[in-house]
Formats: sequence, structure tokens, C-alpha cells
Amino acid sequence: MRALRIGLLLGFRQIQRASIWTTTLIVFVMMLTFLNLIAVSGVLVGLIEGAERAVRENAMGDIVVTARDDEDRILETESFVKELKTYDDIQHYSVRYSGNALLEANYKERRDLSGERDTAAIIVQGINPTNEDSMSHLSELLRDGEYLSDEEEGYILIGAYYLKEYAENFGDIFDTIDAKTGDTVRLSANGVSKEFVVKGIIESKVDEINLSTYIPEREFRRIFGRLDRNADTIVIRTNTPENNAVVAESMKASGLAEYAKIQTYEESLPKFLIDIKNTFNVLGTFIGSIGIVVASITIFIIIFINALSRRRHIGILKGIGIQRNVIEIAYVIQAAFYALTGSALGALATYGFLIPYFDANPIQFPFSDGILSADPESTFWKFIILFIITLIAGFIPAWLIVRQNTLNSILGRK
Amino acid sequence: MNIIEAKNIHRKFGKGDLEVHILKGIDMTVRQGEFVAIMGKSGAGKSTLMYQLSVLDEPTDGEILIDETDVVGMNEKERTEFRLNTLGYVFQDYALVPDLSARENVMMPLLMRGIDWETASRTADQSLDAVGLECKYENLPAMLSGGEQQRVAIARAIAGKPKILFADEPTANLDSVSGKQIIELIAQLHTEGQTIVMVTHEPEYTHHCERIIHLEDGMITAQEET
Repeated sequence: MRALRIGLLLGFRQIQRASIWTTTLIVFVMMLTFLNLIAVSGVLVGLIEGAERAVRENAMGDIVVTARDDEDRILETESFVKELKTYDDIQHYSVRYSGNALLEANYKERRDLSGERDTAAIIVQGINPTNEDSMSHLSELLRDGEYLSDEEEGYILIGAYYLKEYAENFGDIFDTIDAKTGDTVRLSANGVSKEFVVKGIIESKVDEINLSTYIPEREFRRIFGRLDRNADTIVIRTNTPENNAVVAESMKASGLAEYAKIQTYEESLPKFLIDIKNTFNVLGTFIGSIGIVVASITIFIIIFINALSRRRHIGILKGIGIQRNVIEIAYVIQAAFYALTGSALGALATYGFLIPYFDANPIQFPFSDGILSADPESTFWKFIILFIITLIAGFIPAWLIVRQNTLNSILGRK
Repeated sequence: MNIIEAKNIHRKFGKGDLEVHILKGIDMTVRQGEFVAIMGKSGAGKSTLMYQLSVLDEPTDGEILIDETDVVGMNEKERTEFRLNTLGYVFQDYALVPDLSARENVMMPLLMRGIDWETASRTADQSLDAVGLECKYENLPAMLSGGEQQRVAIARAIAGKPKILFADEPTANLDSVSGKQIIELIAQLHTEGQTIVMVTHEPEYTHHCERIIHLEDGMITAQEET
């Protein structure tokens, strides 16, 4: 305790009397190291998290209800929905019916009847436009045209990847038709065909949306003969997304699990997405750890030069009876100061500026609005690693100098 | 009563053909309360002798008893502890810690002894007062003249009431006026009962000493009582 107290005094006084420019430079290097550690992995993970966020916002919501594994659809969907309305924690929900269909364009203008038809195999979603928009803000994803109205019939929204104009960059990956807003298209399924006017084009960073078409649920049920009204999916938005597990558990406890599979958003994520996220995190941490090595070498050199230039004073301190560990502590205190100050400034820059900035101005990646992801717990552990490595990098040079012969140090002898 | 007893002290540096024999069998004693000067030409071995007596170095051969404690063979930690509790040092070039104020420099060994902050601070101020540095407690070494820095070094050396005060050419870096003041200060400490061993090559600073040990080529050539 005594050694720590005196070491603290010596260490703080050395920091206090050091050149402000040198101290600023060292702290700046430590701040960059911290940012490197957090930001590199943060951007990589943010890439996936941005995509995840978009999926949660625009497609899957906070709780996803699907058919039980032994059923094709959600049983007693209407009763299920009535029950949902009794939950105060549920803000919005959307009931979706899904089916496969064939969409055809240009069938009216086509003169060569023996030629190839302009068709695409599509996924159709039957929705209540108002409920869907409240839940997933689908209307905000309109690239062209207008959103569906509850009262209208005969209108369709088409995902961008089904249209030549929007999917041309992807070559022949997607099955597309040549249509635009206002055109008439023919939707065929289950032996039934119906004409629709393209009311709008939907485009999103979420492929699932780009590869969907939307029609009102009444028309869907009619075309697909879904008279039992049992839906394929119900997506739910809770008042407090972070408490979605509590709401999901409460739904299960009330017996709703008998009719459908109830999963939180996190549970419903495909495993490969979680694996990619973890891989990016590891990759980012690995790249960031190169920064740690650079920082530890920097600290080592700084403390070594500092201790070497004060070798005589170290000898004198030992000469007048100051134990070695006190002097070592003084140098470790300096290293700790640089690490703490640099990390604090780095954390301030990360949470006070970078994260809000990238939230407001996401990096535009082709498949995601990339954000900077830095959850406080992982940041804390990265800081701990940086801190410990810095302390070691500060201790070793001090130890090397302090262990030298006292008289040789005082006299400046080798 | 002898506070220092050195018997057959040898100190060699290097090995083989490069071996240099600096001290060649020194026998000497210092009585409690005595003021002894070690004099000699440059290279005579006077500083080397003082380093052996002050436990900063270890002789190649011989025996040293300080305050009836055999200091030869102690490990590094024991030697540091012994220096802290028993000895005081005044070095040629003041040897103050540049980042610490005058008060903190003096407090340093006191804190190391386990004395609490307030007591150490009060004792440091008293020691600085005793060497004529009232009102300069907060000054950094760089803000003090050479003479004042040496006074701080003396204050640091005496604050812990050491049994022996070692001074290695304490006036070497000072002008004659400051040098004289420092010698007067050291002499004053002696009149108060402090045992002092001082290395110097300037005869005019030895007239306060009780005994002068003359060293030449690593051997004592003469001892004169003054």
C-alpha cells in the first residue's frame, strides 16, 4: 500500500511535469488505437447489424409468429389476432398470407404468340395495407408510385428484383419482367388469373422485400382459395423492442403456442447470419489487435526512453532508499494514465459522435445501411485488454531500467 | 563508540587483464558523532571508498560493520531498506527528483519509511526551514539555484535523522560563496551530534572536520586529527 501511494505520487508528478505536447501526442495515439480496436470491428459488425436492423424494421418485427412445425399455417388465425389485441405491449402487427404465383407483363401488347412470354415466378404476400405499413413502414420503401389503400382492389406492389429495370445489375440471377408503375400485369396462381395495375415499386436493402409482391389480403384469399383465413406469418412490433422476449414468453404462457410457433426476432434469425456476425467480429478484433500491438510497442518505447533518460534519478531514488517496486509502479501509473485517457477520449468519440453520426448517415453498402456497432460490453472488454497490455508495455521497460545496479545508475555507468 | 568499522576493504573492477584494483585493503573506523573528511587526488579511490561505506556498492573483499550491522552480503532489498533507515546522502550534483517540489523531495524517504503524509509534510517543512529554505517548499528544483538545491538535498538527507550522513563532494558544483554556506550548514549539523563522512578534494572545506583521512592509490596514507 505504501509502495502504491508513493508510486502514485511519483507517477502523477511525472505526468504533471511532462511536456503537454508529448502527453497530448501519446494520448492521441492511444485514442486512435482504441478507435481502431472499436471502429474496425464495429464497421464490419455494423454491416451485418445494419442489415439485421433493416430486416427487423421492415420485414420481421420484434416477434415472428409462423406455423407450428407440424402445421402449414397459423391455426385459428382470427382468434389469435383477437388475443393479440389484448396485449398492451404490442404496438402493431401485420397478418401475412404467402403464396407462389406467376406474374406476366406485356401479354396485351405481345404480337408473336409463339414467342417467349414475359413472366416471372414470384412470391405474393397478402396484407392489410394499413396494418402492414404501421408494422413495417412499407410505404417508405416505395421507389416509384404509390402505396396500397385498404378499400381498393386490383392494385399490386412489386419488389424491385422482379423488374428488369431495377435488377439489371444482377445479371440473370433474378426472374424478372419488364413492367413499370401504371402497367397492367397478370397474376396467375392456383389456376386463377387476375389482372393488376402496378401501383408502386418497392425497393429495400432487405432482399426478402425486393423479392415480394404485395396485394390486399382479400384478393389474395380469393385467388389462392384461402377461405379458412389461416395466415402464414404474423409479424409483431412491441412497444419496447428490447423486451420482446418477455412479450413472446407471455404469449406462449397464455396458450397461443398451441396455434403457432412464437419466436423473438433473435430466435428467428438464421444461424448463418449469426455466424457471419460473429466471424466479422472476430475479424474486426483481429485487425484491431494489430493496433494494440502498435500501441503497446509505442508505450514500451515511450516508457523505455523516459526511464532511460531518468536512469540516474532512478538510481538516486534507489540510493536514498526507495524500493524498486515503487519506481516501477510510477511508470506503470504513467502507462495507465495514457491508456485510460486515450480510451476515455476514444469512447467519448465513439459513443458521443461516431455512433450517432453513422446512425444518422449510414454507410451505403449494396446489401445494408452500414452502421457503427459497438455494444458497451464488448467495448468494455476490449478496453480491459488494451489497458492490461498497456500496463505490461509500461512495466517491462521500467523493470529493465530499475533492476540495473544502483551505483551504476547513479554514476551513469553501463 | 565506532559507528563504522571497515576491515581490509578491497574493490576491484573488471576481470583478467582488464582488472583494476581501486581499493587495496582499507582499514578505518568512524566514531559516533564524528565529522570525517576523506581527501585525495582524483582517482585516489575516495568516492569508491565512500560508496562501500554508504552501502551503495559492495566491496570485492573485506568487512564493513555499520552501527554493528554487517552490511556486506545483504541482498538488494535489504541494502535499500538499510540505506533508507540508517543513512543520509548528499550527492555532488544535488540529485533531486526534478518532477517533485522541494517539500516532496524531502518527504519521499519519510513516506517510504511509512510515515503518514501530514507528519512527513510537517517534518519536511521543518527540515527545509533548518537549511534556510523557508517559503520555498513548493518550488521545483529547476526554480532553485545550485546552492538552494544542495540545501534541499541536505534537508532530504537529515529529515529522517540518519545515523550517518554521507556527503560526496557536496560543494563541487557550487560557487565559492554557496560552497562555504553548504559546508557551514554541514558543520552545524555536526555540532548537533550528526555523524558525517564527507569526500572532498578541497582542503579549505575541511577545517570543520575532526579527522581527515588521506587516500592515495587506493590506500590510506595518512590520518590527521584537526
